[in-house]
Amino acid sequence: MSQDFYHQAADRLQTPLLWSLAFHVFLFGSLVLSTYYSHRGEFWGGTGGGAITVGLVGHLSGVPLPRPEVMTPSRVVDETKGLYQSEPKPKEAETPAQKIPEFERNKPPRYVTRPSRVLENDTPPPPGAIPYGQGGAPTMPYTQFTVGGGAAGGLGFTGPGGDFAGRFAWYVEAVRNRISSNWLQSTVDPAVRWAPRAVVTFQVLRDGTVINVELTRSSGNASVDNSTRRAILSSSPMPRLPEQYTGSFVAVEFWFDFRR
Amino acid sequence: MGATVSSSRIYSLCFAVVLCGFSLLTPGAAAQDWFRTGTGLGVEKARVAAADFVPRSSSAQPLAKIFSDVLRADLEFSGILELVSKSFYPLEVPSVPSELKHAAWSEAPASAHFLAFGNLSASGNDLAIEAWLYDVSNPAAPAVLGKRYRGEVTDAQLRRFAHQFADEIISRLSGGIPGVASTQIAFVSSRGGNKEIWVMDYDGANQRPVTSLRSIALTPRWSPDATRIAFTCYASAGGFISAQICIHSMETGKLVAFPRWRGTNSAPAWSPDGSQIMFMSSMHGDPELFLADANGGHLKRLTYSAGADTSPAWNPKTGQRVAFVSDRGGIPQLYLMNADGSNTEKLDLPDMGYVIDPAWSPNGQLLAFSWRRPSGNYDLYVMDVASRKLVELTRDAGRNERPSWAPDGRHIVFESTRTGTRQIWSMLADGTQLRQLTTQAQNESPNWSAR
Repeated sequence: MSQDFYHQAADRLQTPLLWSLAFHVFLFGSLVLSTYYSHRGEFWGGTGGGAITVGLVGHLSGVPLPRPEVMTPSRVVDETKGLYQSEPKPKEAETPAQKIPEFERNKPPRYVTRPSRVLENDTPPPPGAIPYGQGGAPTMPYTQFTVGGGAAGGLGFTGPGGDFAGRFAWYVEAVRNRISSNWLQSTVDPAVRWAPRAVVTFQVLRDGTVINVELTRSSGNASVDNSTRRAILSSSPMPRLPEQYTGSFVAVEFWFDFRR
Repeated sequence: MGATVSSSRIYSLCFAVVLCGFSLLTPGAAAQDWFRTGTGLGVEKARVAAADFVPRSSSAQPLAKIFSDVLRADLEFSGILELVSKSFYPLEVPSVPSELKHAAWSEAPASAHFLAFGNLSASGNDLAIEAWLYDVSNPAAPAVLGKRYRGEVTDAQLRRFAHQFADEIISRLSGGIPGVASTQIAFVSSRGGNKEIWVMDYDGANQRPVTSLRSIALTPRWSPDATRIAFTCYASAGGFISAQICIHSMETGKLVAFPRWRGTNSAPAWSPDGSQIMFMSSMHGDPELFLADANGGHLKRLTYSAGADTSPAWNPKTGQRVAFVSDRGGIPQLYLMNADGSNTEKLDLPDMGYVIDPAWSPNGQLLAFSWRRPSGNYDLYVMDVASRKLVELTRDAGRNERPSWAPDGRHIVFESTRTGTRQIWSMLADGTQLRQLTTQAQNESPNWSAR
């Protein structure tokens, strides 16, 4: 009797167990599916969904604020071998190395070429010469380095043209700020990402009027060239020349590096 | 015969050589001053230090501190230069140019390019300030600026002098674009119980009420010469109290006569020459844009659309184009039209959502507005109208609405609820250097004076 009861109970439990299993499988399956479908196509921070392209802040031409500075890799110090011999590197501690058995092919060649006595420069380096590749950015005053001649990569020099940039650094700063705020980079062909340096020369009269605008070095792209010329023409009149300055006009060489 | 020909040739050759020699010897072309500079991969900002102004008497001590602090805050907020941190300054501070030690300021840690300094004396009610700006990196250079200010000993006057000197420096270094330190901001404040028009200095100081109408005043707009403020007021017209256009004169301190019309009249906007006012009016039933002279004459209807048109903004550079908000497409969006109502076009944005409060930059190239995108709150955006390029200025910081440009095009003032209450904030036009200008009660709808 009791045995029979247990058998019957086991029989009765088997069907609900199967049902329960089936429902659990269905439940978990639907959970997985709903998770998948609700998150599909919406990658966090991706371009899908409702995201739109909005530009970076601080890069809007038209606002007369200085562009933020861009870090570029230094080209002053490099790894190339220089003209003069560098100071010897401090010796590293030697680690005992196992000798690799030599192959037949790697045997030293029979003839060793000796250094040429004709081509080798035997004059000693001048005193105080900095080995090539071991220099650094020169520490110069702002007026000399940035304003005076940062242009072509050299230092400022005072030739026969006088020392305008040294005496009136604020005026150079003013001209630079004014032209760069009037340089509308949005007018450049959107396909152009980068252009070589364009150089424009002009003259500023005492009252600030700009004359003789001339493109002396083209960037190679007409729309960049036009935008630079427009920047200078729309900056006229510049601020008046300093009162302490006696000349009737100042010549300016202005370079533009276009880069988006 | 042949001999004479050859000899004349020789003579002419000699003459040419002598001419060439003279032209080479002529001075002038070689003695021409020149300099070389440029722009491109970012611009290194000039580092400017502003020394504490030296008080000439003990009574001038607090005044000198206020002057130096205001000057420093103005320079810091100008956006075109880098203010050297005060902790790097040498201990010895010059009061006159003969005491200036260039190297102490131009070398590390200050590493300044320019130094502003001077002295301040106060005797009785007479204030005298001497201020200079020197290029410290070049001891041979003459003074960039030398100024002397005289006036009464009041806090407002002292701040005005500091703002004026800061503006001179900013104008010198930025190439002629005047600074905005002397400008003012009109806004709506409810701190007196009613919404009235208030005015403050651009840095939030000197806040004072302008109107006391004891009703509701909204959307103040400075006239281009900063002598009048047009705003929306509530006044009776034909027996009903309704929204009307009011104009307050800053010179007389009273309202200027301006006609009243049926229905709701609001959102005035001045033409760039100050001779006309564009506004929204429902005098014909539907809210449309109307144009009138500054004295209310020559009323003209400009828009004829099914939806409401409001918030006009006149391009300040050309005076030809007007941006406005219209819901003719279902929801409020930005539209452009000519100032005579012709040639309407929609400014399409890449996303849906309400777009309100357009404001032109002073150079007429950029349009700032607030936009509620489907995923977020109202935020400020700037659009380059020619290329339709967008830049987002605020994000995840309450509601940011009603931008207004400073006359230099470098600053924007707006209202924000990021502190929990509605307050006026200002920032640089690239979204940096945020400053809260108001704290009391609720303040909204700022407008920057044109000068």
